[in-house]
Amino acid sequence: MKQTLMGNDAIALGLIHAGIDMVSGYPGTPSSEILANFQKYKHHFKLDAYAEWATNEKVGFEVAYAGAIAGKRTCATMKQVGLNVASDALMSAAYIGLKGAMLLVSADDPGFYSSQTEQDSRSFAKFARIPVLDPATPQEAYDMVKLGTKISHLFETVVMLRPVMRVCHAREICEVDEGLSVTPLEGNFERNVPRWGAVPPAGRFRQGLEQLERIEVIKAWNWKELIAPKVAALKGEKVLFLTSGTGDGYVREAVTEQAIKADVLKLDMPYPLPKTELEALFASYAKVVVFEESYPCIEEQLSSPKLYGKLTKHAHEIDEFSKAKVMETLANVGIVKKANPYQSPKFTGELPRRAPNMCPGCPHRDVHYAITDVFKKEHAICPSDIGCYTLGLNQGAIDTILCMGGSVSMASGFAVADPKKAVVATIGDSTFTHSGVAPLINAVYQNHRFVLVILDNSTTAMTGRQTTPERSNPAQVDIKRIVEGCGVACHEYFYEPELSKTIDFVRSLKTAYEKATGPVVAVVREFCVLDKEKVEGQLGRAFVEIDQDLCVECDWCITAFKCPPMHYDENGKMAIDPFLCAGCSSCLDVICPVDAFVEKEEV
Amino acid sequence: MKYQIVIAGVGGQGAVFLVKVLSIAASLAGQKCLGTENHGMSQRGGSVSCYVKLGDFYAPAIDEGQADLLIALEATEALRNLHYLKPNAGTVIVNATSEFPEVAYKVYHTDAFSKARNKAFPIDALNVYMLGFTLAKDPNFPFTCKEIEQAITKMNPKLAEKNINVLHQAINDAKAKA
Repeated sequence: MKQTLMGNDAIALGLIHAGIDMVSGYPGTPSSEILANFQKYKHHFKLDAYAEWATNEKVGFEVAYAGAIAGKRTCATMKQVGLNVASDALMSAAYIGLKGAMLLVSADDPGFYSSQTEQDSRSFAKFARIPVLDPATPQEAYDMVKLGTKISHLFETVVMLRPVMRVCHAREICEVDEGLSVTPLEGNFERNVPRWGAVPPAGRFRQGLEQLERIEVIKAWNWKELIAPKVAALKGEKVLFLTSGTGDGYVREAVTEQAIKADVLKLDMPYPLPKTELEALFASYAKVVVFEESYPCIEEQLSSPKLYGKLTKHAHEIDEFSKAKVMETLANVGIVKKANPYQSPKFTGELPRRAPNMCPGCPHRDVHYAITDVFKKEHAICPSDIGCYTLGLNQGAIDTILCMGGSVSMASGFAVADPKKAVVATIGDSTFTHSGVAPLINAVYQNHRFVLVILDNSTTAMTGRQTTPERSNPAQVDIKRIVEGCGVACHEYFYEPELSKTIDFVRSLKTAYEKATGPVVAVVREFCVLDKEKVEGQLGRAFVEIDQDLCVECDWCITAFKCPPMHYDENGKMAIDPFLCAGCSSCLDVICPVDAFVEKEEV
Repeated sequence: MKYQIVIAGVGGQGAVFLVKVLSIAASLAGQKCLGTENHGMSQRGGSVSCYVKLGDFYAPAIDEGQADLLIALEATEALRNLHYLKPNAGTVIVNATSEFPEVAYKVYHTDAFSKARNKAFPIDALNVYMLGFTLAKDPNFPFTCKEIEQAITKMNPKLAEKNINVLHQAINDAKAKA
C-alpha cells in the first residue's frame, strides 16, 4: 500500500510492522517524531504497546534493552548527541547481547542543522561492535527497521539504524505493509546470572570473545545477503563508487545528470564490512571512491592504493553532502574535469540576517532580559543549557553552552574559578530532569555559590513539545520538590507578561544570592507560546506599535530584547511586524528608554 | 517529468504545510516525489526553506542552480534562495511589493501582506494564497487545481473549505490583475 510519509513517520510505521511493542527514548532533532508517531500508530492500531519518553537517552536505552533481555522486540530512539549520553549502557549491552530484538535508532545531523556537533553514529556502532544500517530515503528507513529487527533477533545483538536529517525529515511516497500482521512477543525474563550480571571478569572475557566471533559471522552475512546480490548487478565500468545512506542519493543523481560512467555499490550495512571480499572486488577497477556522510566509517575498514575518500583528502570532511561536493571529489580524484555544474549566481544585495531566535511572546526572553538587567553582564557569568532558551545568545544573555545539563555543573566550576563574578545559570524543565539534578546535588553538597533559574514551560519545547515527566505526573514529579529534595530551598515565580514583575523576582534572587553560602535555586513557571493547551489567555492581551516621533534609534530593544517582529522601517525607525507580534505586551513598559513602545489602538 | 520546487519563508508562515500538500498531490497524481525541509533552531521568525522534487530523484535536497520554481512567502527569503533556481530558466512566485528588485528570472509578485492587512484573507492562509497564485501564474506547475484541492482536503478535512476558498480567491486575484 502506498503512503506519503516523512522519514520519521516511516520509521515509526516500520517499528509497528516489525512487531516492536516497546519504545523508549528522549526527543532530539531530527529524531523526535519517531516516538510521537509510534504513539499515534499505537492508538490507530489499538496496540497494547509501551511508548513513553524517558528522562534521558541512557534511561531510554536501558528501559528498551531490559525489554529485549526479557525477550521482547524493543526500540530506543535518540539523536546522535543523545547517543553520547546512552553510550555507557550501549558499550556493555554490545558485549552482553539480548534475547528478543532491539533496534537503536540514532539520528545524525550532517550540516549541523540543529546540533552542537556533526557526529557519525556509524562510527559509534563500529566502536561498540554492533551492526549498523544506513538508510538513504524514508522508504529504505521503513524497510531497514524491519531488516534490523530481524538481524537483531538472528544474532542476539543490538542493531543500530542510523538515519540522517535528510532521511528523518524527508518526505516520500512509500510502499508499506497493510494493517498489522505481527504478534508482539511476550516478555519472560529467564534468570542467567553469568550472562546478564555484568561483573566477573572471566564471564566478560568470554562475552568479549563471543562478540568478536559474532561480528565475523555478521560480516559474512552482510556479504552474502546484502552485498553479493548487488555486486552481481554491477555493469563492469572502470571506476567503482562505494556509497552509504544519503551519500548514495547525491551520487546517483550526479552520475545520471552528468553522464558519468561508473559502477555504484551502495553498502546498506556500513559496519561490519567483509573486508576481504570487498578488496578482492577492487581488482577489476582502476579507482574506487567512497562517498559517505559524515565520517570515513567505510573507508577506515578498507585498505587499497586504489581507494579515494576523506582519509586521502579527496572528499570533504565536514558539512552535509551535495551533488556539488560529489563533483568536487570526482574532480579531485581526476575522474571529471574541474568545474562545478551546480552553481547559480547569488543575490548580491544586503539581506537581513535571521539568527535563530525565540518565538514572539516567549517568556524565556523576559527572564533572560531580567537576569542581564539585574546582574549586569560585566559583573556576571551566565552559563546556559540545551533548549529554546539557548537562543538567548541573541540577546547577549548567555556566556556558555556545552551539553545537556552542563549549565549546572559549569556554574559550579565558574563559582570556584572566578568567585568575584556572580554566576547565574539557566536550564529548562526537561533538561533539568534529563541531567541537571545530579550536578545540583553536587553543588549543594559542596556549597557552590551561584544562582540557578529553572525555566519551566512544562514541555520539551525545542524538539516539538514532547511531554515531560512533570507534565504527565504533576502530583508525583514536581521540580520545586525535586530541588527541595536535593537539599536547597526553591524560589518560585509564576510568569506574568509585565516585565517589571519578572525583574522584581530576579532582584529578590540577587538579594538571596548576596547572603547565600551555596546555590540559590528558582523555578519560573512559564508556558510555551506554541502549546495550545497551556497558552490560552496568555497572549494577545495588547498589541504594540512604535511611536515614531519618540523612537531615537538607540537599538536597545533590538539588541537586548530582540523579539522577531522588531525591525527597522524605511525611515530607519523601529517598527513591529503586525503579522509576527503575538501580543504578549512584555515589551511595553520596561524596555524602551524613551517610552516609544505604545499600545496599538486597533488590531 | 522532472520538476523541482523550492518553498521559502519565515517560521510560522506555513512553508512546511505546502510541502505536505504538494507531496500528497503527487501521490494522488501517481507521481514520484521526494521532499525535505531546512529550518534552523528557531520555531517562529527564522528562515525556512523546503524542497519538493517530482520525478526520478534519489536525494531529497536540491542543489544550487537546479530548481524550476521558487515559491516565496516573503520577499527577503525569495532573494536568499534565488540561486537554487536554474540560471535563466527559473520562475519566482513571491509575496512582495512592486519594489522587488530586478533579477534574471521570470518573477510574478503579489503583495499578499497588504491584502491580508485589508482583511482580504486571513494571514494564517498566506501559504495557501501563494499556492493559488502559483497555480494561476506558473504555466509549467505540474499540478491541476483539482489535484491541489484534493490534497488540501486529504491533509486536513476540517480546514479544507476555508483553505480552498483562499486558493480560489488567489487564482481570481491573479487573473484579475493580468
